[in-house]
Amino acid sequence: MSDLALPATISAAPPRRRRVRLPPLVIFAIGWLSLMLLTAFAADLVAPYPYTALDLRNRLSPPVFMGGTWLHPLGTDELGRDVLSRLIVSIRMSLLIAFGATAIGAILGVTLGFLAAHFRGAAEQAVLALVDFQASMPFLILALAVLAFFGNSLPLFICLLGLHGWERYARIARGLAVSASSQGYAAAVVQLGASPWRVYTRHVLPNIASTLIVSMTLAFPEIILLESGLSFLGLGVQPPLTSLGNMVGYGREYLTRAPWILLAPSCVIVLTTLSVSLLGDWLRDRLDPTLR
Amino acid sequence: MVRFLGLRLARALLTLVLVVTFAFIVLRLSGDPALLIMSADAPPEAIAAFRQAWGLDDPVWQQYLRYFTAIFRGDLGQSMRDGRPAIELVAERVPATLALTLPALAMKIGLGIPAGIYAALHRNSFADRAVMLLAVAGFTVPSFVLGLLLVLVFAVQLGWLPSGGQDSWRHAILPVLTLGIGGAAVLARFTRSAMLEVLGQPYMRTALAKGVPWHVAVRRHALPNAAIPTVTIVGFMVGSLLAGAVVVESVFSWPGVGRLLVVAVANRDLAVVQCILLLVATTMVSANLIVDLLYGALDPRLRAQAKGANG
Amino acid sequence: MSGVPLLQARELVRRYTMRRGLMGRPVEVRAVDGVTLALERGRTLGLVGESGCGKSTTGRLVLGLEVPDGGNVTFREGPMPPRQTAEWRRLRARMAMVYQDPLGALDRRLPIGTQIAEPLDIHGIGSRADRPERVAQLLRDVGLRPDHAQRYPHELSGGQRQRAVLARALATGPELLVCDEPISALDVSIQAQVMNLLAEVQERSGIALLFISHDLRAVRQMSHRVAVMYLGRIVEEGDPDAVLHSPAHPYSQALVSAIPQPGRGGRRIILQGDPPNPAARPSGCAFHPRCALAAALCSRAAPVLKPLPDGRLAACHVAHGTVSPRDGMPQQRAA
Repeated sequence: MSDLALPATISAAPPRRRRVRLPPLVIFAIGWLSLMLLTAFAADLVAPYPYTALDLRNRLSPPVFMGGTWLHPLGTDELGRDVLSRLIVSIRMSLLIAFGATAIGAILGVTLGFLAAHFRGAAEQAVLALVDFQASMPFLILALAVLAFFGNSLPLFICLLGLHGWERYARIARGLAVSASSQGYAAAVVQLGASPWRVYTRHVLPNIASTLIVSMTLAFPEIILLESGLSFLGLGVQPPLTSLGNMVGYGREYLTRAPWILLAPSCVIVLTTLSVSLLGDWLRDRLDPTLR
Repeated sequence: MVRFLGLRLARALLTLVLVVTFAFIVLRLSGDPALLIMSADAPPEAIAAFRQAWGLDDPVWQQYLRYFTAIFRGDLGQSMRDGRPAIELVAERVPATLALTLPALAMKIGLGIPAGIYAALHRNSFADRAVMLLAVAGFTVPSFVLGLLLVLVFAVQLGWLPSGGQDSWRHAILPVLTLGIGGAAVLARFTRSAMLEVLGQPYMRTALAKGVPWHVAVRRHALPNAAIPTVTIVGFMVGSLLAGAVVVESVFSWPGVGRLLVVAVANRDLAVVQCILLLVATTMVSANLIVDLLYGALDPRLRAQAKGANG
Repeated sequence: MSGVPLLQARELVRRYTMRRGLMGRPVEVRAVDGVTLALERGRTLGLVGESGCGKSTTGRLVLGLEVPDGGNVTFREGPMPPRQTAEWRRLRARMAMVYQDPLGALDRRLPIGTQIAEPLDIHGIGSRADRPERVAQLLRDVGLRPDHAQRYPHELSGGQRQRAVLARALATGPELLVCDEPISALDVSIQAQVMNLLAEVQERSGIALLFISHDLRAVRQMSHRVAVMYLGRIVEEGDPDAVLHSPAHPYSQALVSAIPQPGRGGRRIILQGDPPNPAARPSGCAFHPRCALAAALCSRAAPVLKPLPDGRLAACHVAHGTVSPRDGMPQQRAA
């Protein structure tokens, strides 16, 4: 992603590079997201315990700041499993799903959008009808229906969430590709004899990359929310695997006795979606103010 | 105008056909319903009888046609668990869901739109920043987290309100708040950006340059134009009156359509899932149609075009 | 000029269906309606007319970028291959185009040098090692410096961008160059430089130019032959000096009289009526509602493009003497 973003930023910026002043909230967002990414990558190294390990002598022990011990800094659950360790593994799972689903949605949407723009006619109408259909149905309901019919597995779940938001990329990719080929650089390259593959991958895609990346940052938090919502309902990630939504769903049973089980993953969900949204808004203002 | 409406109606029907087809395809791809329902070690005669009863041995296109005609007759199948008609099961849950979503919708509109307009008119003021901060928070806090936090504070700590169930109007307060706050935040954000865009348009500058007073310009030019994108979002909210409370109903153990859907999905009670899917699609499509009609009323360009097409 | 022309277009027709607004009924528009033209190697044909007259569409048709609904195009004695086939793509190396908006025609994300080398990459001309030298030569040929190769389009001036577009067009050594309003987006001071450059390139390489412009003086300066278009048809064609000094068609006369000239006050012909709308093409001669000389016949029968005594072609009943001016027409109010 980043190697696509770079040229787009260069072209948008004037030749002399000015130093970008980051607003404090954006610095916070970048910091938090870096922490989350590091945690996800190093999950096995930083987690103090295996996430399924039981400590039956320390069940429902509170976190340090609520009078607990450093043995389990964020406390333990009903079975004595370390909340911090489970949280770290859950972050990895939730981010993996969110990244996977965002990538799938973007690839699917851009491909369909380009196909619609290139072939026009019936293909375009079919894609637009699908876009309408997708945009007019609450995605959660569609997702629940698919889960009901197909049952659940992790790859299926990621692909399913990948279907969220493809219609936005498709709309953007089609619109920009149509305008690029009706006049301007894409038409000029076609006249030079370039194959459609070359036109779309070497010219159109890099030129719309910044817009696509902004839409991805807007879709990413929605996918995190969707994943955690479905997992909270017990219909997403299935035990023994764990995700942030799973932890909240599990912790709900102990709301009165051990609220920390639920609060830790809730905070992570909120801070992560908040950070991506802040970053996305900031990127949108800088790269593509036309997008809303 | 007739042509415009006709096109819209055709598109709405197409969406419904797509939903039905989607349900059918997913149903067929999902494996053998006979084996899903009966346990794997059920006697073969029982499975064969089940297949016979549900018509699973016929060619696919026949099943598709039968499926379609059954749906047009209003026959949405029976719950595979307790044998009651799915539509009955769903229908008796609708009032409970509306008891949550209608007050929540009123709250979203009553809070979100004025807050968005106020923030836009007082751009960069303290109030604007506060509204925006709340709006971002409302968007990023998932409903189940918000709901559980409200329970933690108002039910567990303060003991003011019940945490779940459906016995009195007091039970509805927390779920309605949970639904309303999130929706109001989204709506405020949208209204604000729609207003800001309109306020920056040349016709606003023109009106002000002509000497039209600020409040008149806002009322006559800005609000009607900003209403167009806002109506779309409100339309979507109206469309999800039945489907929008899935998570919140689960948090508060509220026996509505959403709770039914989650249980049906967990039990793979396909007839009920499909019935809710169609019901939600119909609501959504009807709401979109109404939005399209409102567009006609709000956007004179569409009106003029419609007249032009007629005459 | 002897021999078979490099480019021949016969009776080209291009129709579009256009909807007025979102819901309007489709209207058929004939953007190009029976255009025939020929262009020899090393020569320039000027195509002139107001915007919307179909001259740009004609340019796109002869390049094979659009498929004509009627008529055909022959290039180097071969028919135009179907669009987006390998053969069609190979032919792109032989014919090139220069655009009105050079900034739009360049990819703003790639340095100029990469874009000039792109046709060489596409058609596999020369080795990768020779590219920098070839690009430097192309840049020098169009009056840019080799170090401009590293610049991005937005870092160049309008004239430099147009030179870069020209360098890219010339990279494969084409035999035909279609210039679609190549100077109208440029400053007046730059226009002459770009026209001189085009003439220079033609001198050096013997390339054939189809020069499309609404600027009569530019067309006259560039062209060996001029065709005047009105609403999708050629109404007059001939030697530039003849057409511009004594235009035969009333529309050409109006165009010529619109050129500002010092010391010639008050003799301008002001066209009456609505500007041409290709969706509502008048009957007969499409120009008759605006023509000061129109006779009754002009609204019934479309005139044919045929030679006048001095050899040039015109499509006008009056110019050919078929009718006399204003014959049988009700008195019109004075302009």
